[in-house]
Amino acid sequence: MQNTIHFSNIFLPLLYLATLIVYLYDFVKGEKKLIHSKRLFLFLTLVFHTFYLIIRTIEFDHPPITNVFEIFTVLACAIGFAYFILELITDIRGTGLFILIIAFLFQAISSVFIKDLIEVKEILRSNLLGAHVLNALLGYAGITISAIYGFLYLALYKEIKTNKFGLIFDRLPNLEILEKLSFSSAVIGFIALTIAMVIGIIWLPQAFPDFSYADPKLIVTSIVWLMYGIGIILKTTGQWRGKKVVVLSIVGFLLSIFSTIITNFISRSFHSFY
Amino acid sequence: MNFLAVSINHKTAPVEVREALHLNKDEIKNYIDELKNNVFTEGFIISTCNRTEIYGIPVKPEINYLDLEKYLIDKKPTVEIKGDQFQKFFSCSAVNHLFRVSAGIDSLLLGDNQILGQVKESFLIAEEKYFVGFLLKRLFDAAAVVGKRAKSETQISDGAITVSYAAVQLIEKIFSNLSKKTALVIGAGETGEIAAKHLRDKGIGRLVITNRTYERAEKVAEAVDARILPFSHFKENLHDFDIVISATSSNDVILTKDDIKKMMKKRNFASTVLMDIAVPRDIDPAARDIDNVFYHDIDSLNIIVEQNLKKRKEELPKVEKIILEELINFFSWYNSLEIAPTIKSLRDFFEDIRADEVQKMINKFSADDREKVDIITKRIINKLLHQPTVELRKAADAGINTPESIAKIGILRDLFGIDKQKENNNI
Repeated sequence: MQNTIHFSNIFLPLLYLATLIVYLYDFVKGEKKLIHSKRLFLFLTLVFHTFYLIIRTIEFDHPPITNVFEIFTVLACAIGFAYFILELITDIRGTGLFILIIAFLFQAISSVFIKDLIEVKEILRSNLLGAHVLNALLGYAGITISAIYGFLYLALYKEIKTNKFGLIFDRLPNLEILEKLSFSSAVIGFIALTIAMVIGIIWLPQAFPDFSYADPKLIVTSIVWLMYGIGIILKTTGQWRGKKVVVLSIVGFLLSIFSTIITNFISRSFHSFY
Repeated sequence: MNFLAVSINHKTAPVEVREALHLNKDEIKNYIDELKNNVFTEGFIISTCNRTEIYGIPVKPEINYLDLEKYLIDKKPTVEIKGDQFQKFFSCSAVNHLFRVSAGIDSLLLGDNQILGQVKESFLIAEEKYFVGFLLKRLFDAAAVVGKRAKSETQISDGAITVSYAAVQLIEKIFSNLSKKTALVIGAGETGEIAAKHLRDKGIGRLVITNRTYERAEKVAEAVDARILPFSHFKENLHDFDIVISATSSNDVILTKDDIKKMMKKRNFASTVLMDIAVPRDIDPAARDIDNVFYHDIDSLNIIVEQNLKKRKEELPKVEKIILEELINFFSWYNSLEIAPTIKSLRDFFEDIRADEVQKMINKFSADDREKVDIITKRIINKLLHQPTVELRKAADAGINTPESIAKIGILRDLFGIDKQKENNNI
């Protein structure tokens, strides 16, 4: 089984890359012939990814959520699935390339650094932790997709404002749709993050009796959560719109990435698992 | 294939000539009445603002382009028309020309997607006047296939190539649902009217027109089902509109950056499109610096038009490939209409069925009877095919590919599905 896992670990980023190339070709050429096959490519990649996660869970006797590189592969899969469902529901096909770049990067990093971890700390074998991580992943997938749509909004906004009508102008959906996609993803991400935080706060005192509320991960996550919360209220009440909302989404995403890097590789947080 | 066509179009003649030769529906019908049986056995006439073309199968081989040219010139003697202003096509080149027209690559606006509808309408008029036979019906079907394939398989008709349509394309890149948007058109001249029509066609939610001359505004508003806003009040109401298209003949700026700033504040900076398609411009270009204001003038719209035109030109080889494929298909079909191959195909078709059925049942007969069964069934087939074979030979004696023989052969092939049978055998 381990040989299959090792093979899948190398094959999976290649599969994402192949899917990405198909999406790139379609985006650049704009021909209609790949319109269905690119979706099939993505579907097969996601099926294979699910198979990989299942055999990994069975072989190493724990779901792959116990360190950052395990989480990256689940995150890649979550982003891919989220986009796949979004494409099916909305039938907006011009944005897949940009979302799948992120899924590919997460998977590539995971594949390079992931280890065959059999021994897992007892503390990480908790159902509450499972629910916490699941929601956090959904939340991160949501805000990642929101930020990508935010970037695309800004790119198209700039092209239209400066009269540069290139590929972005030709292929992307209109600004209103991009704003809507960014906002909807942010709302889903925000709800999932809220649930993850609530579960985390319940679970924390049980798992780490000596934790501190001044932990950098807690502080940055709270700031990010507040930012999204304020942004969502301002947008819903019509006080903020367009560029301002998407910029807030992008800043929130960058802060979350920053907080993950800080907590996992630099600072000594209870959230560092690697 | 004895098929003639003459065309006078935007490439060969100035607008005055094209206008003079333009035929309305009734004129086309009258022309057909005169052409029918005197000049052509079957045919059709296409007449749009950019072309007048006559296609047909001559009643006798002596009829040529000069007769058609003379015919048109005599009927419309109001302007001087020179012979070299006519394009002339015969046989394959005439079919090729019709295919190019149907695909929109012979149009003034490359990739024009209205022309296929106009070709179809011309054909329907001819059909209504019983001027279309078996051959031209098949030809029209092939032309329709070319037009549809060009549109669906290439990008020859994609993107706006007129300024007013480019403005609408740009608006659609900003807003997703125009039925929920409001638009103000300032200026009720020709440009303003075209822009208003495009917005109406795209299903704009609320359309309002303002103009210095109220009567003119009224006229345009009625044509496009819009409301009117008095010119003296439009600035106070500017914030009500998501889209403002300005096309006045004013020599001065009518909307300053300050006007736009005030409007945006009142709109709480909701996205606003300002399309200034007037020359000289009506809106201060500095308005483009304001957040969520999408200001575009005629120059920026021309960029879109030129880019789209370039892309359409790049699609030409793909369309020409489609035309070539459909020309081959059409002439393969046409060549199959020869008498001798048809008789052979028909006999082969019946013989295959006979042999197949005899083979299936042969074991039910005694060894002595088998030969008799074979002879009897062959006799039945020969008797069944005797009369059709005689009729086909008679048609052949009347000349090569006469309308009568084409109709007979075509119907025969269609009824028995001989071509389909061949295709299946080839697969």
